[in-house]
Amino acid sequence: MPPVLTYSEEELIALLRQQSREAFNYLYANYSAGLYGVIRKVISDEQTAQDVLQDVFVKIWNNIEQYNPGKGRMYTWMINIARNAAIDKLRSKGEIMKSKIHGGEEVVYNAQKDMKTEVATDTIGLKDAVAELKPEYQVIVNLAYYKGFTMDEIAKTLEIPLGTVKTRMRHAMQLLRQYYKK
Amino acid sequence: MNIQEYIESGILEAYVLGALTEQERASVEADMALYPELTREVEAIEEGMRLHADSTAVTPPAFMQEQIWNAIQSQTKEEEPTNRVAPLPVSRETEEPKVIAFEPPKQLPKPAWQRAAVWAAVVVSVGTNFILLSQRNKTNQEYKALAAKVDSMNSSQSQMLAKVEAYDHERAMLADTAMKTVIMRSAQAGKQMTGMIFWSKAKGESYVAIHNMPMPPQGKQYQLWVIQDGKPVSMGVIDNQLVANAGTMYKVPMTITAGQAFAISLEKEGGNPTPTEVMVVGAI
Repeated sequence: MPPVLTYSEEELIALLRQQSREAFNYLYANYSAGLYGVIRKVISDEQTAQDVLQDVFVKIWNNIEQYNPGKGRMYTWMINIARNAAIDKLRSKGEIMKSKIHGGEEVVYNAQKDMKTEVATDTIGLKDAVAELKPEYQVIVNLAYYKGFTMDEIAKTLEIPLGTVKTRMRHAMQLLRQYYKK
Repeated sequence: MNIQEYIESGILEAYVLGALTEQERASVEADMALYPELTREVEAIEEGMRLHADSTAVTPPAFMQEQIWNAIQSQTKEEEPTNRVAPLPVSRETEEPKVIAFEPPKQLPKPAWQRAAVWAAVVVSVGTNFILLSQRNKTNQEYKALAAKVDSMNSSQSQMLAKVEAYDHERAMLADTAMKTVIMRSAQAGKQMTGMIFWSKAKGESYVAIHNMPMPPQGKQYQLWVIQDGKPVSMGVIDNQLVANAGTMYKVPMTITAGQAFAISLEKEGGNPTPTEVMVVGAI
């Protein structure tokens, strides 16, 4: 059943501070699917993704005092926790380091391959907006968003200037925004 | 500073994604404090990120909710000192290690019957392995089917438990003499409207029910408030399904331990920080 009462982010923080079961249920009902989606994009293995989701909720629960509303939305904060936890898990498994050591072409290839598998797993009916982007944009969004590369690392891996990485990143995010506005 | 160029550089996207170094991040935050255009742009990027996350949302399996809650509970309990593990006894053998002289195995020519026996054993072993393997596959399948069954039973059991708990709670609530009933009456002349709040001050628990209120017009929603020391504090925006199901009691997730009145107001969709048009109100 969807929650009958809804809360703004500010109210949600107050609710979470109460640390009640109801607060958890509300948080879970409203954010678990979004966060699990983010995690599944990074980690395809379901069991590992579930472990990460659990860690993420525990982290959100325990660190709510560290969230600073002045520095952006709560959802962004939670998405970044989920992304980072998933990426850390991936790194701990040594998968990402491999792709960092390999040359740029390999990364491009892997990134595109990843895109393909994502499209294949997205049969639930969700159209992947990222897959609609041109490959040169896809690679950057993929590396930054789902692999946790910094702009600098992307520039070095793909052997393109840092400025180009940033402008492509911006362009890609704008295309995504337009896509969702449709 | 050229704001447009700054925005076009893509640094704000990197900021929202957390792909900046600590130093770069601090500098972006300082710039944002100076230029509201940058803050607006960051908000737009965050909105894009939210839409992206929503479009890729995947509902986790149902059992996760209970599992994560248990993990959260045990996390807070784990802070107590854990049992110390007794050190393993270290063996103190002082005796001389026994030395066994190495001797090459004696090579004897194997008689024919021995070789035949070995072959027969191999054949039997392969055959047995094959049978065992197919049995194991079958067992595996059965096991998987059983595991799936147990999983679905577990999940329906926990759903039932939650229901029973809810009923039990409702029963306790109705029997609770400390539970106050607050009837909220129309604040609008000529309109008959009522809502009810059941409130236990000691537990901070409250339930809301709408008895007789019209569906909010398009783009509007009702919002629930508690008045604390003359100030309205939002208890959440009420979903229209509660309005449609008149008389349904719904537990308010927020804990309320103080207040002088409850009220429901009509607000824009998603609610407002302060009430604009109060519909019903009831003093405690």
